[in-house]
Amino acid sequence: MERINNYEQFKKSSSGIKKERESNSSKVIIKIAMATCSIASGAGPVFDLFKDEMPKQPKEFVLIPTGCLGLCHSEPTVEVTLPGSDPVVFGKVDVKRAGLIISDYIMKGKTVDCIIEGN
Amino acid sequence: MKSKQIKIALRNCGHIDPERIEDYISYDGYAALGRCMFEDTPSSVTDKIKQSGLRGRGGGGFPTGKKWELCAASVSDKKYVICNADEGDPGAFMDRSVLEGDPHSVLEAMAICGYCIGADEGYIYIRAEYPLAIKRLKIAIAQAEEAGLLGDRIMGSDFSFKIRLKYGAGAFVCGEETALIKSMEGNRGEPIMKPPYPAQKGYMGKPTNVNNVETFANVAAILNRGAEWFSSIGTEGSKGTKVFALAGKVKNVGLVEVPMGTTLRELIYEIGGGIKSGKKFKAVQSGEPSGGCLTEKHLDTPIDYESLKAAGSMMGSGGMIVMDEDDCMVAVAKFYLEFIVEESCGKCVPCREGNKVLYNILDKITHGKGELSDLDKLKNFGNIIKSTSLCGLGQTAPNPVLSTLDNFYDEYYDHVVNKKCAAKQCRSLITYRIIEENCVGCGACKRVCPAEAISGELKQKHLIDQETCIKCGACIKKCRFNAIVVE
Repeated sequence: MERINNYEQFKKSSSGIKKERESNSSKVIIKIAMATCSIASGAGPVFDLFKDEMPKQPKEFVLIPTGCLGLCHSEPTVEVTLPGSDPVVFGKVDVKRAGLIISDYIMKGKTVDCIIEGN
Repeated sequence: MKSKQIKIALRNCGHIDPERIEDYISYDGYAALGRCMFEDTPSSVTDKIKQSGLRGRGGGGFPTGKKWELCAASVSDKKYVICNADEGDPGAFMDRSVLEGDPHSVLEAMAICGYCIGADEGYIYIRAEYPLAIKRLKIAIAQAEEAGLLGDRIMGSDFSFKIRLKYGAGAFVCGEETALIKSMEGNRGEPIMKPPYPAQKGYMGKPTNVNNVETFANVAAILNRGAEWFSSIGTEGSKGTKVFALAGKVKNVGLVEVPMGTTLRELIYEIGGGIKSGKKFKAVQSGEPSGGCLTEKHLDTPIDYESLKAAGSMMGSGGMIVMDEDDCMVAVAKFYLEFIVEESCGKCVPCREGNKVLYNILDKITHGKGELSDLDKLKNFGNIIKSTSLCGLGQTAPNPVLSTLDNFYDEYYDHVVNKKCAAKQCRSLITYRIIEENCVGCGACKRVCPAEAISGELKQKHLIDQETCIKCGACIKKCRFNAIVVE
């Protein structure tokens, strides 16, 4: 990002960045945990699958690699927020399940059986 | 069931891309630093941290604002801020998660601390075993410097603050602040007598403020949402939340952040989902490896610095290990002592020699050679080590032994007098036996036994030779007829 040279510029730049993020709410937001624990349990190929497959779908999306949510018991985890919906966290996601999340949940809004309740 | 959690230190973990500074800024990142520098004074910011009631999350629980104030009061041409990321407890990964998921929150807080105490340089002392956290910190530092949010004249102000990384070689004792500073200076990681405290004479002999990763991760949130908001969470003496690495025999193993005052029962049963495979809860150890083991009767203890201490354990940095009926408490105490014996730096005698004595006694007991007088010895030695060791490592090292002696005396007694291990973990005290009525003579156990201790013809009753048996348990796993028992 551009270099901040004074406080006014920071405040302006900061609110611009905030607005940009808020504008993402019209898109499908996919967050994939990519901490040491997630990567060790196989988040890498899952991330790659989303990166390769999502651009082929007609929906607008943002794909964000994040730290972990602390759900070690269910890694790798993927959080999907459809426009206008609450975020849903999927656990123990492998490449096969990732495919189902895209084809069933993201494209058709159907539930997929690996949702972690009440996060 | 995770609704009992409140995420402050982990607020951004799992929500932002840790490798994009814009993501952090979009969640009020660096806003607190900006406000401190342009709208506030160092002493008033320190007051806010004091008012919030934030206490050190590395285990000691020293009030953070007070620590900053003491360091600010030291007069010197140079001061340092150190972030202690030497997370060495077995099974704990709170700091790693914060550094991998939200590195900027730590950088911003270090800069704020530097502004408050008058330091222009900060170091993160991090384990070399955390390569991903190191990589993300390096990216974060580079991005923040490029954006003018760290480094020279931050946001065009008069305040400059640089952050560098120092790698630890993985010594547990280096989590102790004076040993950490010694290690950073290139010396052996050994603690020194306090006072002088690092706030007066720390890194390179200059006033130094050392805080833990999780402590720093709370700072910007407190300044953004207000000291009153933070102090409204938690208990009288312990404000805010605490992150725990919930591990062991609990269903939902993971990282949780709960308000202070949450009970152990809520943490283990509601958030952790209870004990795995329907087994019975036996004990929980907090503050490991040198915390105490608490039992069923302690489950309603609220989690805060004072209550855990009163119950015979301690807050520690956030490891929380749950044990079930299959765990032998004498073996557990021995396991932790083994860790301590390996990690003791050896500088002071009580810790170096005393813990070895404790370990040898425990080893004797688990091998069925213990005597009743050993239990008194454990207690006496334990108390001496606690009261005479130089640093926190030795002063807390006997806790697992003393607390299990208090809470599970029967189990020790059983080992020593009856030569029995009820949890069937101590190999010297158990025997594997074939129940004749159930044995069909299939030979599965005989084939799998690595010691060739099982004899018997096909379709005949088999027999385990106790002299040869190495008690590995391979036979019992193979038997499909429930014909082998452990006694």
